[in-house]
Amino acid sequence: MKTRLAILSLIIFLAVLPAFAGKYLLYVTIHILLLSIFSLGFNLLFGYTGLLSFGQAGFYAVGAYGCAKILLAYPSLLAGIIGGVALAGVASLVLGILCIRHTRIYFSMLTLSFGMMIFSLAWKWRDMTGGDDGLVGIPRAPLEIPGLLRLNMAPMENYYYVVLVFSLLAIYLFHRLVHSPLGLTLQGIRDSETRTACVGISVRNYRLVSFTIAGMYAGLAGALLPPLESTVTPPVAHWSFSAEPVLATLLGGIYTFSGPIVGAFLFYVLKDIIVRFTQYWLICLGAIVLVLVLGFRGGVVSIFQGKGGRG
Amino acid sequence: MKEIIRTEGLGKYFGEMAAVHQVNFTLQEGFFTSIIGPNGAGKTTLINLLSGYLLPDAGKIFFRGTEITRMRPEKRVKIGISRSFQVMNIFPRLTVFENILLPVLSRLNKNARPFSSLNSQKEAVEEAERILNEVWLREERDLPAGQLSHGDQRLLELGIAVAANPQLCFLDEPSSGMNPIERIKVLELVKKLSAERKTTLAIVEHDMDVVFSLSDWIVVMNRGEILAEGKPDDIRNNQEVRDIYLGEEI
Amino acid sequence: MEILAFQGLIGLSVAMYLWLLASGLTIVFGVLGVLNFAHGSLFMLGAYFAYTFYGLWGVNFWLAIPLSLLSVAVVGYVMERFFLRHIYKEDHAYQLLLTFGFILILDDAVKMVWGGVAKIPAMPGFFEGTVSVVGRPFPVYNLFIISAGLFVAVLVWLLFEKTWWGKMVRASASDREMAGAIGINIPTLFTGVFAFGAMLAALGGALGTPVRVVAPGIGAAMIIQAFIITVIGGLGNLKGAFVGALIVGTLSAYGILLFPVFELFLIFLIMTVVLMIKPQGLFGG
Repeated sequence: MKTRLAILSLIIFLAVLPAFAGKYLLYVTIHILLLSIFSLGFNLLFGYTGLLSFGQAGFYAVGAYGCAKILLAYPSLLAGIIGGVALAGVASLVLGILCIRHTRIYFSMLTLSFGMMIFSLAWKWRDMTGGDDGLVGIPRAPLEIPGLLRLNMAPMENYYYVVLVFSLLAIYLFHRLVHSPLGLTLQGIRDSETRTACVGISVRNYRLVSFTIAGMYAGLAGALLPPLESTVTPPVAHWSFSAEPVLATLLGGIYTFSGPIVGAFLFYVLKDIIVRFTQYWLICLGAIVLVLVLGFRGGVVSIFQGKGGRG
Repeated sequence: MKEIIRTEGLGKYFGEMAAVHQVNFTLQEGFFTSIIGPNGAGKTTLINLLSGYLLPDAGKIFFRGTEITRMRPEKRVKIGISRSFQVMNIFPRLTVFENILLPVLSRLNKNARPFSSLNSQKEAVEEAERILNEVWLREERDLPAGQLSHGDQRLLELGIAVAANPQLCFLDEPSSGMNPIERIKVLELVKKLSAERKTTLAIVEHDMDVVFSLSDWIVVMNRGEILAEGKPDDIRNNQEVRDIYLGEEI
Repeated sequence: MEILAFQGLIGLSVAMYLWLLASGLTIVFGVLGVLNFAHGSLFMLGAYFAYTFYGLWGVNFWLAIPLSLLSVAVVGYVMERFFLRHIYKEDHAYQLLLTFGFILILDDAVKMVWGGVAKIPAMPGFFEGTVSVVGRPFPVYNLFIISAGLFVAVLVWLLFEKTWWGKMVRASASDREMAGAIGINIPTLFTGVFAFGAMLAALGGALGTPVRVVAPGIGAAMIIQAFIITVIGGLGNLKGAFVGALIVGTLSAYGILLFPVFELFLIFLIMTVVLMIKPQGLFGG
């Protein structure tokens, strides 16, 4: 009951935020929401299925570039977002088939490698991606359902609400997913792949399902970026960007539902503080990872739950 | 009595070493069979081959007449072959209840549903509760399985194996690593499962009292081959078998 | 035709320092069971240290190399002794996360210490110049890399096959418990092996310094190469690392010649093909 109240208050808070927050705060909140979606997908793979992927930024990039290309040709926000997610889904399905048949260690190696392959593509394929200049002039296209409605997205508040709705939807779907028989199957795979096979489940197939869904979540987060920033550049595919959902989830709590979301928020708070003192932000990120892995694996959410609990 | 599983010339080799060699045997449906033999005789390898965990280098396996030699383990479960593991293999972070619910959902082909809640799967939930009762773990229902005592984990392991409602179930040393009290409980459960379910059980076991009191049929392995098989009395009086146990009371 | 042979020789020299990189990774995995994501960063550190010693401080090249190796061995020692050691018993995932944390730290740390601009160190005097190979000028230094690489390969093979330390390492790799039971000090051995692997990577980096650019970000680029090599060759297999390095090295060289800009994809393509046909790698088991 308490959790429901907390969640409701949070949603209400987020809903009324534009009334008193300036543009910059809305901008940061959007980024926190994007990282939340990105991290939820990452954690579906890691906390729920036991697969550690260091290449999720690759699918974020596919979503981002995909959406950007669509918007540049056909300025409809929905088309861009859905197109970006779909492309990311296809990419993760294809790469997933290559990656999931292996042991967890090979899997992690391969995800890092393929993620960077996508980065190379983004960086070198000038004709398609604009090379290291990236894609520019991406319109914050109106939210349009032909015949039904047309909402102008120029004001930041409007786009904020679009992102908020997509985020809440994504979180809600995620909740249904992980508390379903499919979610139980994935957790079984995490806990013991041998045992899962010996209760009649094809481990490979479900790993692929998990990988594809995670890729689509990364793609959704990515697709929501271009209308906000109006540009997309190669760094969104880089392995150091893949580190963000990893850290956010570690911070918030790996085996919990809300960990990635809490972690996304903490991530931005930390980054904001650290960046004021030093430009060597990655060293701090790395150091935080070390501290968390060595001493504090439950993440922040576990403090509120007692070990072994689930959000 | 009908044959339920049969092997022909089954072999598995690790380099020069034959873990299992030229094994021809048949299990009869409804017979409680014990597989015994000294350490390293190939008993666990045999179970691994029969359950699909390992693929053989030679020979064939037939389940109710259909060849299943190279069938993947998950498919074998679907056609009715299940097993438990010598080294504990449960789902530690899932609750005891969920440990049983998952194989039940799998059996009902409902484990892939992405959006329905677990509680809404009435049939599966009821069956899982029943099995939980059957293996005496009702009280531990909501504990994470990793927190159970060693003995209870073994009960859970057996529960997972029978939750698939198998026609044939292999139990690999179900009482290994247990203290005497736990052993009694586990073996009581095995007896109960054998009596109450329509599953043909085949167990690898070292406790000779259990073997001779429970079994309808005994298979003796030594150095990867079948040394002898037959009814308990025949085995008890078999000189070769007595020799490999070096005069132990059997 | 001569171009192909020539480029192949270039590829061979690239393969040598790639082999040094991959061998360290695969040895550490084979013995400790740990996949060190930060291994490429150790290669990078080797390059930076070498650049500092002989490029900035004018130390004799032949002294600079061992000094670089020692410096990186120290870094490796710290990594293993104070960090990695604590999580051997834990899930592999935490080991990967920990070493991933180290990539973040090391790749940024070199920016902090040496600045973000790429360095182009000078060629040591006695290696300047070229030799005529199939009628084209082939850098003497590359010949040096090839010979040095092959020499070290033989040394490493001798080390593991013939020496007492090598035997202990192989024993510990195949059965840790047994090795501990017969009195081998496993923790110390592990630290030693890790430092040894770090030194191999550092040697690759240091040898590569005069012919490569020394820049931040090399760490991540090299670990990807190392991963591709070990996927092709089989993780934990030294022979596989050598063959894999040869394949990747020569393919890179031909790729740059025949498909510039997209040569990286040629390598990914080969890795993908190997993965589909033989998932554990050419020599994997």
